[in-house]
Amino acid sequence: MTSLLSVDNVTIRFGGLTAVNEVDLNVERGQIFSVIGPNGAGKTTVFNVITGVYEPSCGCVRIDGRPGARPLSWRTAIGFGFIALTTAAGFAVALNIRELWDTAITANYVYQQAFPWAKSFSDALTHLRDQPWTWNILPLLTGALVGLGGSVAVWRRARCTPDVIACGGVARTFQNPRLFHQMTVLENVLVGMDTKLRSRFWHAALRLPFFYREYKHAQAKAMELLEFVELDDDASAPAASLSYGHQRRLEIARALASEPKLLLLDEPAAGMNPSESDDLLLLIRKIRDRGIAVMLIEHHMDLVMEVSDRIAVLDYGNKIAEGTPDEIQADPKVRKAYLGTDEL
Amino acid sequence: MTNTEVFLQQMIIGLSNGMIIALIALGYTMVYGIIELINFAHGDLFMLGCFLALTILGALGIDAAYDPNSVSLAVLPLFIAVPAFCAIVNWSVDRFAYRPLRSAPRLAPLVSAIGVSFIFLNLGLFWGGLPMDVFNGGVAAAAPKDFPALVSRTNLLGESSNIIVRWNEVLVAMVTVPMMVGLSLIVRFTRIGKAMRAVAQNQTAARLMGIDVDRVIGATFLIGGALAGFASIVWASYNETIYFQMGFRVGMDAFTAAVLGGIGSLPGAVLGGVVIGIVRAMSEGYIAAEWTNVVVFTILVVVLTFRPSGLLGTPTREKV
Amino acid sequence: MAGGIRRAVIVHAGWFMLGIALLVPILDPLLPLEWKIAGHMNRIFIFAILGLGLNVVTGYTGLLNLGIAAFMAIGAYSYAILTCDIYPFRLGFWSAMPITICIGAIAGVVLGLPTIRLRGDYLAIVTLGFGEIVQDTLKNLDNITQGTQGINPLPAPTFWGHALNTQDKVAWYYLLLAFLALVVLVSRNLEHSRVGRSWIAIREDEIAATCMGVNPVKAKLVAFAMGAALASTSGGIYAALFSNSGEPGNYDFQISIIALCIVIIGGMGNISGVLLGAFVIGGFNSIVLDKLTTLLQQMGMVNTQNVLTVPGNWKYMIFGFALILAMRFKPEGLLPSRQLKAELHEAEEDERAENARGAA
Repeated sequence: MTSLLSVDNVTIRFGGLTAVNEVDLNVERGQIFSVIGPNGAGKTTVFNVITGVYEPSCGCVRIDGRPGARPLSWRTAIGFGFIALTTAAGFAVALNIRELWDTAITANYVYQQAFPWAKSFSDALTHLRDQPWTWNILPLLTGALVGLGGSVAVWRRARCTPDVIACGGVARTFQNPRLFHQMTVLENVLVGMDTKLRSRFWHAALRLPFFYREYKHAQAKAMELLEFVELDDDASAPAASLSYGHQRRLEIARALASEPKLLLLDEPAAGMNPSESDDLLLLIRKIRDRGIAVMLIEHHMDLVMEVSDRIAVLDYGNKIAEGTPDEIQADPKVRKAYLGTDEL
Repeated sequence: MTNTEVFLQQMIIGLSNGMIIALIALGYTMVYGIIELINFAHGDLFMLGCFLALTILGALGIDAAYDPNSVSLAVLPLFIAVPAFCAIVNWSVDRFAYRPLRSAPRLAPLVSAIGVSFIFLNLGLFWGGLPMDVFNGGVAAAAPKDFPALVSRTNLLGESSNIIVRWNEVLVAMVTVPMMVGLSLIVRFTRIGKAMRAVAQNQTAARLMGIDVDRVIGATFLIGGALAGFASIVWASYNETIYFQMGFRVGMDAFTAAVLGGIGSLPGAVLGGVVIGIVRAMSEGYIAAEWTNVVVFTILVVVLTFRPSGLLGTPTREKV
Repeated sequence: MAGGIRRAVIVHAGWFMLGIALLVPILDPLLPLEWKIAGHMNRIFIFAILGLGLNVVTGYTGLLNLGIAAFMAIGAYSYAILTCDIYPFRLGFWSAMPITICIGAIAGVVLGLPTIRLRGDYLAIVTLGFGEIVQDTLKNLDNITQGTQGINPLPAPTFWGHALNTQDKVAWYYLLLAFLALVVLVSRNLEHSRVGRSWIAIREDEIAATCMGVNPVKAKLVAFAMGAALASTSGGIYAALFSNSGEPGNYDFQISIIALCIVIIGGMGNISGVLLGAFVIGGFNSIVLDKLTTLLQQMGMVNTQNVLTVPGNWKYMIFGFALILAMRFKPEGLLPSRQLKAELHEAEEDERAENARGAA
């Protein structure tokens, strides 16, 4: 059975700087997996690679054994073909548009008489055929090339976006909460639910019954999640009005709304007092009990050692150790990384 | 004219116009690089520069009937007064319209810039109504005005040559190239240049390092304005006609150039300007003048499709 | 107590406005000639639809579109070509209008596809350029679009056999009001749906939104198509109202900027704000300046030889100062979106609660 998340040999370079160097990580189902390390060790960068915000320079990330990039499906390929053909036709027509209009429309139309569409169409084709062949072939070829090349280029840029990975069952929070400040708390959670909603443009625009059914259901579920993180009293407040600790919990609720298999928490206890971080510990356990694996970046060692099943330690972009909390505590390399010396 | 001659002629025209466009594009790209604002008023500032240049010429008694062969030092004041005027106006615009909005939502300064551009446009219209001979007595304020040629119209390659290179082209090169070189030296080596680069990278950090951010931004506007002032003199002298809506036309070319080259990048702006100038000239020479904008825009879209950050721009990575 | 009444007025402001809007044609004949506004209201309604279109793109999704007028032009010319009897199509208003809207949406997607992943400011120049080339193309293809003459006259729309001529001011007024109401309704429905939430989420924080599974390409394309479709609608109605496609120069950059001002000065992402913006800016543009010119002409103060004495010449100056001052003192617009307003007032309420606690 494959791991829930496997990070294979991932390296990321920003210009000359290697932020993460050949890191391997495996997270199993139901596990609480912590990533620790000194500041600047590349922990958040690893998160950004897993969620697709950054593309790794080499190596790959698999979720449930599947790579995170959008696969090249038949539909996409047919789409490329369609775009290429349309641009080709578009270029050819655009270059001849004046003459085409004159021969096909103006010449055939008698004021307020029925219009011979078939004749107009064949006239247009004849006109195109009578052109010197370069005049026809060149725009068709250029159009097809630009259309195909352009759509492939745009697709390549768009294929590794975080939403693909989010749809694959990975949700995250950010080091500094990135909420949608102008939306209410409830709406923030509803955005998180986006991948699970099926209503389309027309359902919403025309308020079809399906829209109401789904909205009711989604709202109930969002409220349930807000209760889970104890924010249900603030459901209609703007997200920006929440305190820092509440914003963090709202981020967790928003991430949970997409029903992830794996939840990534980036320093969830930063800036929390001891009692708040105890609450957080309980919350993380509760999340795990829902069957969701949790991956955690954290500096509060008490919290990490207490909650984690497994810990990986990063230093200067390299993974220097991995194991259970006890193994990590005993590891001399870890001590060295943290204290700068292996003596205690 | 042979094919080669047509090509060379269009190349010369394109290169000259392109250098001027590049000079204006530098103003856009510098301001964008430092405060991420599309300074919409820049094109109209350039237009005001042209009108000031014509006013000064009118006051000096130089009009369209003036014989450009008698090269006169009288035009030299132009090269001091117009850039100074544009620089000061640009600085004041920043001081009074943009600076209060530094911490406002992102679109606020942009809308403010559009407002400034409208005011300039209107000022240009009124300026054309001045009761001076060079403005036709101010009767038809909105009509295009003739701009006297500042330098001799004789063909440097001899009257028999089919390719025309006038003193104007030389003037363009003499003004634009030193400007660009000077600008890159300023940005690279001077204190204020280093401060500019620092502010462009990270305003907060620069402020913490003791850089007076507002002063640096003000200096950027001064330099950008002066460049627009120089550009306006050579543009008007090269094209020999000015009108109050030209700010939008030329400004759009310059803005396109800045984006094509990669906005925020100084060499990018120059490259973009030259490319746009040449594309325009080639399109006018080989396709048709009325389709030029369409050709330029199509090329822009195709380039951006393949290189989303422009020709020389570096892709930005947002910090998460 | 007074607060309660004030709140009731604010909550029901929309209905009050609608009531007043419905009454305008009835009250208008009672007004003295100089103060009649019903005719001008038509233009304002069209601008309001255009503004709501731009609101979807710029207000909700946060994509700066400086070429919205191009989509209006596409709408107007599509409608004109489909209905005018010098072309073979000769459709009626009710069949031409949906096609016009679809053409607008397709144009939006065509422009959006290659550019949607670009940074915000790159999109601005591309849309700006698009606005210019649509004008140029319409001007240059004069064998199709009649060049700068515009396509006219267009047949009057028919309502169950009753032709709606340009003179039927009152009937037109209600037709436009109905269109506007429909657009408002659809916009509002979308705002509070999955689609609208994903737009606003992208505006607020694109990275966070995509990490939550929102597909930014799809959401932006839908926004672009929707904005273009609404702009196209406004263009089609404009052509039908004046029985003329207008000339390409009618859809220049100034129109795009007026639409942008309507959205930003009114209040980004807020439908009532956009309506208010359309009323204020459209009102200034077509009512105030118009009346002022008439007034000054009557007083003999207008001298066409002197550029300064024609009020219309001051338009951009006034617009410019209005924009700068609006951004300086009310950057969030006259009616900020409900969330933004809530946020701004949150602080006040906290303070009040604090005071109350202190008193107790």
